[in-house]
Amino acid sequence: MERAAALIIGIVAWAAVAGVAVSVVQAWSGDNQVLAFLPILGAVIVAWAIGEVVTKRLFDGDEEESGGGG
Amino acid sequence: MAVVEREFRRESHADPRVLRAVFSNTATAPLWLLARLYLGYQWLIAGWHKTVGDDRWIARDGPDGLALKAMWERATAVPRDGAPAISYDWYRDFLGYLLRHQVYTWFAWVIALGETAIGIALIIGVLTGFAALAGVFLTFNFQLMGTASVNPLLFIVALLIVFAWKVAGWIGVDRWLLPALGAPWRSGRCVRRFRKHPVPDPGIDATLSHA
Repeated sequence: MERAAALIIGIVAWAAVAGVAVSVVQAWSGDNQVLAFLPILGAVIVAWAIGEVVTKRLFDGDEEESGGGG
Repeated sequence: MAVVEREFRRESHADPRVLRAVFSNTATAPLWLLARLYLGYQWLIAGWHKTVGDDRWIARDGPDGLALKAMWERATAVPRDGAPAISYDWYRDFLGYLLRHQVYTWFAWVIALGETAIGIALIIGVLTGFAALAGVFLTFNFQLMGTASVNPLLFIVALLIVFAWKVAGWIGVDRWLLPALGAPWRSGRCVRRFRKHPVPDPGIDATLSHA
């Protein structure tokens, strides 16, 4: 149950990154590419942090079973 | 026969340490993230403008893909003076075939939605290698059509991401998706569920040292 919740949180986080990217393109239409870069980069970092903090803690066991790395 | 066997025997050569460090080590993931975001944003802008808005290629009143048709017609035109846009006759014939059969009516959907999907996939890092490879294919075709513009830069960046497919999506969905689906250095969790006797996994270090 905990794993399913973590998986859903991870999927939602990365889907939100796609939503932010599309919103930025829609809103700024590529006028300022440097400015547009920042919210997308920020969203990616937040989603990555969620993955590392929430998901990795729960799925770490699986990675060790299969040889580590990843 | 012995000569053939000797010349074409199975022999793998390992990459130099520096190439492994750049293209296979997760320490370079932040660098690939920046490359991914740049490339993904470019594709997303290109695809989005073809999908929605006044200048869109698809879902218009009347036949779809008229903008693509005009682009193909410009590319295939052979001027009275000067060089044509397309250097290769076979490619001009190929586009001519597509024009005659009105392929542009549905191919515009493939390009518009494909570019959008490539952009999103690169930004969130899902199947990054495949997304970059699709980008390589598209820019290759645009360049064959004689459209230079930003395509040479997009081509090179996408090609580098293809080479770095193992780690380019590390700060992204591939961090979780590749281990689940399976990769050369690890059989995937999803795949193992369908196997009665899972193959022993040597891990990434063993794979690299024998590559």
